[in-house]
Amino acid sequence: MISIPDLRVILIDDNEVDLLLHEKLIAIQQISRTVLAFNNANKALEFLSSNITLPRIPPTIILLDIQMPEMDGFDFLEAFDSYPAKIKSQCHVIMVSSSLDYSDISRTYANPMVVKLLKKPLLAKELTSAVAEIFRDFS
Amino acid sequence: MKENRIRILYIDDEVHNLNAFKASFRRSYEIYTANSAQEGKQLLKGIDVHIIIADQKMPVSTGVEFFNEIKDTLPDPMRILLTGYTDVEDIIDAINKGHIFSYIKKPWDEHELHKTIQNAYEIYATRKQLKEKIIELEKINDELNRFIYSTSHDLRSPLMSVLGIINLSRLDNSVTDPNGYLNMIEVCIQKLDGFIQKIIEYYRNSRLDVEYEKINFDHLLHECISQFKHQNTAIEFQVAVDQPVDFKGDTFRISVILNNLISNAVKYQKPDEVHPKVNLAVKVEPHKATLVISDNGIGILSEHLNNIFKMFFRSKNNNKPGSGIGLYIVKEALNKIGGTINVESKYGEGTQFEISIPNRNDFDS
Repeated sequence: MISIPDLRVILIDDNEVDLLLHEKLIAIQQISRTVLAFNNANKALEFLSSNITLPRIPPTIILLDIQMPEMDGFDFLEAFDSYPAKIKSQCHVIMVSSSLDYSDISRTYANPMVVKLLKKPLLAKELTSAVAEIFRDFS
Repeated sequence: MKENRIRILYIDDEVHNLNAFKASFRRSYEIYTANSAQEGKQLLKGIDVHIIIADQKMPVSTGVEFFNEIKDTLPDPMRILLTGYTDVEDIIDAINKGHIFSYIKKPWDEHELHKTIQNAYEIYATRKQLKEKIIELEKINDELNRFIYSTSHDLRSPLMSVLGIINLSRLDNSVTDPNGYLNMIEVCIQKLDGFIQKIIEYYRNSRLDVEYEKINFDHLLHECISQFKHQNTAIEFQVAVDQPVDFKGDTFRISVILNNLISNAVKYQKPDEVHPKVNLAVKVEPHKATLVISDNGIGILSEHLNNIFKMFFRSKNNNKPGSGIGLYIVKEALNKIGGTINVESKYGEGTQFEISIPNRNDFDS
């Protein structure tokens, strides 16, 4: 269990089954009570931009898939990079992918916004320790 | 048929030459003429010719100068120089620079000129064919790249979802499964995924550029072993690395080779063996590294030894699942990096693979 009171998780994945799986996993592991699932990266960006007016942005974990139609994970990161620091500083991106493509993997590690890359299927233990690692530096 | 005719542009400042050329060759070729380099250039803007014949001695710009000028914008047409004098220097220079296919002395011999045109066109057509083939191959290459990318994603992604569902059902205990069906599904999925990964490995080996970097064999071997150790915890691994000098090689391919051989050594153990063993020995010399991987497993039937490196060959005398692609990938990877492999095996006693890989370390630099 991770005790960041208002931690929220944003899921971005075009695969509905994986969205459901990840949502359940977060619930079982009691990582966060607020899970927002988007099956398309554009919708997630829209949601994040609607956050700009909030007085305070809650700490946010973004589980981001790499391969998606229209806007893939890297396109999302590029667009998100232009968002105000107020939002970006609260968002921690974990990429989640079944990719074995080395260029994808090295691109992921090269991106400063990405905290970690986790392989699918997402394991409860790996997800929990990745989240714990992120917030150890902040608590 | 008209499209298939050879198109020739002939440039000469003497109009009677142009006319004579037309008279002699118009039945065989599609002929365009110009009486200056300037006019020739104008004409070339509108017409795609196969062969350009130019007179050397012309006012304003000579034949060689003209060819020189157009060689970058129009590299394809074959160039033939006509000259009344033997301006040896000019000709040698032009031919050596590669702009000119041939030169013909004036007055031309009809038969000779005809033959030269035919030869020039043959080269033109061959080059064109080659270019088209290259474009076609590049396209196929590109398609293969995209195919493998989608294989690695589109095929694996639903498999990983299924594994995720199985994991989740164990976490929340929501499925009663007294007969262990979920475990069976998981084993099948992992087998299928293993095969997909092998295909990707094969593909990456065949198309990735070879890259040489420093390799620490002790490191690499332990990394490989840690991947397979859990499959059979009874196995005793013995590692002996003798690396007194630096070794440079292709990390990806060498680990592919080691992974496949170690995986086999772990997989093909005798079920009743009390002391299953896998021995790994490496000896690095300035010019090569020798790797020996041996086990006391089930061994390979001697009549099968010649076939084990063939694609999809599987020895029948074992009940172990295999894709029949692992050793084929090993062989292909060794081919890429200039290595060799030898196998010795006694059925029922064990197998030993000996690999030799050239050391790409340049000790003098």
